[in-house]
Amino acid sequence: MHSLTADIVLRSLGQVGSTVLAILAGVIVLEAGIYLIFGKLLKHRHTLPIMLLAPAAIGLLALIVYPIIYEIVLSFSNMSLFTFRNPKFGFIYAERNFGDVFTQPVLKLVHFLPVFLRTVLWTTIQVTFHVTLGMILALLLNRPMKLRGLYRTLLIVPWAIPQVVAVLAWRGEFQFEYGFLNIVLRDIGLHGIEWKSSPLWNFVAINITNIWLGVPFMMVILLGGLQSIDRTYYEAAEMDGAGPWRRFRDVTLPLINPVLTPAVILGVIWTTNNFNVPYFINEYNLESSEILVTALFRAAFDYSRFGFAAAFAIVIFLILLVFAIIYIRFSGLESVMGKSVQKPVPAGIGRTAAARRSKGPRGEVRA
Amino acid sequence: MKKVLLVLSMFALATFAAFATGSQEPKAAGPVSLSMWTQESENENSYQYVQSLIAGYTKDHPTVTIHLLQKSTDGLRQDFLTASLAGQAPDFLWTVNDHAGPFTAAGVIQPVDKLFDLSKYVKSALDAVKLDGQEWGVPISNGNQLMLLYNKTLVPTPPQNTDELIKMGQQLTKGGVYGLVFNQVEPFWLVPWLGGFGGKVFADDGKTPTLNTPQMVSTLQFLLDLKYKYQIIPKESDYAAMDSLFKTGKAAMIINGDWSLGEYKKLMGDNLGVANIPKVSATGIWPAPYTSGKFFMLSKDLAGDKLAVVKDFINWATDKDNQLNMVKELTRLPALKVALDDPLITSDPILKGSADQMKVGTPMPTVVQMRAVWDAMKPEMNALLANSETPAAAAAKMQQAAVTGIQNMH
Repeated sequence: MHSLTADIVLRSLGQVGSTVLAILAGVIVLEAGIYLIFGKLLKHRHTLPIMLLAPAAIGLLALIVYPIIYEIVLSFSNMSLFTFRNPKFGFIYAERNFGDVFTQPVLKLVHFLPVFLRTVLWTTIQVTFHVTLGMILALLLNRPMKLRGLYRTLLIVPWAIPQVVAVLAWRGEFQFEYGFLNIVLRDIGLHGIEWKSSPLWNFVAINITNIWLGVPFMMVILLGGLQSIDRTYYEAAEMDGAGPWRRFRDVTLPLINPVLTPAVILGVIWTTNNFNVPYFINEYNLESSEILVTALFRAAFDYSRFGFAAAFAIVIFLILLVFAIIYIRFSGLESVMGKSVQKPVPAGIGRTAAARRSKGPRGEVRA
Repeated sequence: MKKVLLVLSMFALATFAAFATGSQEPKAAGPVSLSMWTQESENENSYQYVQSLIAGYTKDHPTVTIHLLQKSTDGLRQDFLTASLAGQAPDFLWTVNDHAGPFTAAGVIQPVDKLFDLSKYVKSALDAVKLDGQEWGVPISNGNQLMLLYNKTLVPTPPQNTDELIKMGQQLTKGGVYGLVFNQVEPFWLVPWLGGFGGKVFADDGKTPTLNTPQMVSTLQFLLDLKYKYQIIPKESDYAAMDSLFKTGKAAMIINGDWSLGEYKKLMGDNLGVANIPKVSATGIWPAPYTSGKFFMLSKDLAGDKLAVVKDFINWATDKDNQLNMVKELTRLPALKVALDDPLITSDPILKGSADQMKVGTPMPTVVQMRAVWDAMKPEMNALLANSETPAAAAAKMQQAAVTGIQNMH
């Protein structure tokens, strides 16, 4: 191992610096160009907004839009190990790729439906635990108490650690001989569990790790939502004789809905697309622990089935898109955002409280 | 505002110009910069050896710089394919022979039989990279075979056959010590036993998988029994686990390859014993581990000045002095014929043991279908050893997965 000398630092800066300078120079040229053309030549109204948006737009085009288009084109090809340098494109290949996603094994033996159902199970378990535990922790932290800042900081630590580092550390602890989980189990008299080679326990291990990783985010979001609920709603409810459960169900939940619904949608999408946790914890490549995105990665890079994998990726994207659309409609988020006339008046609150408060057309509270 | 923008644009254009001309400077017979990837690991001291080779060469050739990058074996295969697609492949590789299969199928490496004098290398090493009548790699070391390594303080004489192995194992497995350990995750450790039971992974054409055979079922049953009936191996053990158990004296015998000899010899000195994997008592056949080696492979786009320098480096790195040095440093058998006959090898018990095991080994198939076979065997081997599948079911699934895998390659 070499120590960090000035020479190494300068060399690294040199390797990175030239790229940074090139990007900086490019942005300057771009802005100057837009200013001169749109501002001076065309005297366009929106020169400034265009100047401000241009670098980001180009970045997004290059890094997101172009790869997606490339992927759609790739799904129309037969690119694999043997047709690596000269893939052929055409509708027939698209038919074959998209057909294979549903009819042929996506890996060696497992088909699309079991992997899809396992992904649904994984997402359901994860989001349920995240929201439940996150809500419990948020409710606990929402009270005035000593050292609240310290508890909050400690509870956010799992989120702050780079995800891959945390997952690899957890993977080490699932090791049969030397991992701390099995050591604790043996100390209390049970046998060690084969976390990595048993299909069931490997799936449990993946779930445990992701719960540890995902709860802080949900807790922080829900805590923010809880703190935005006006105290007077609770006071009014107490005056009307509502107990803690009634207060939670009828005040907290409806008022936290504008925060909870996007959080759940994000949680579902991120969990379904969560690659790091299932991929790394599944060290022995058990096909029974694969979810859609890890199966996609293996199809593309372990088995070099690039055309097929591109079609697979598009299928996953469409599934998530349909889910997001349905969920937003179903959860009434649009109504809360003011699109329709319906307002989510907390049920069971006494008329006095409702009369004292009124909501404007956009849902804001007016005194 | 306008003046500032104009000045900034001038500056930007000047920077661009500087970069553009900078990268087009004509290089007179001048500095050559090469990039090489290797899958040699730091743990076995072999990565340091590659670094020292490069340092030795660049000391005598100051105009050459070789950038070395280390990757895991699977990572090297995946990343080399991706990098080649992007036109950013490294110039040459130091890697295992079965990478030749996927790389030749994808057309990303070039054959070496016209670039080097291959007659000075051992034939079995060259056979391991021969495809379609051409050789695709220059051998560095010969062997890569699994052997039975044992701790002489726990095992004074090694078992000659599997009955003795089981008896010894049962006597030794107590108090946190295991009689035998091996990598229960990788099918590379399954293959010797398959050979010992008279089975083969491919039919005679070298391309059709034959994994659902009575021999495979006997092999799987044998491994299952080692774990659950005789209980001489740990419940779970991958490469890292078996390596630590052996190094800390918690395993009496280990099945590991010639790449690990250097480290173990340094750690255990004379207490390290090398023997053939014990003969299978039921059949009387020696288990046949796969033999191959490590090879230099050249990227398809390597040409001109860079190719000349790479050829020079490879010829230098595999000359007799460097080969004998490698034997001393890494305890691996050389690929150069004249180095193999050197007394340095014939008089060392560990190297002699390694050479003896290689004699009963079988060359590892390098056809691209081998990839599908490895991928098919791995999950079923894991499921079997987790006792969630019977040997018959595992063998059938392996065959089905291999056939599907090969179909999907086209």
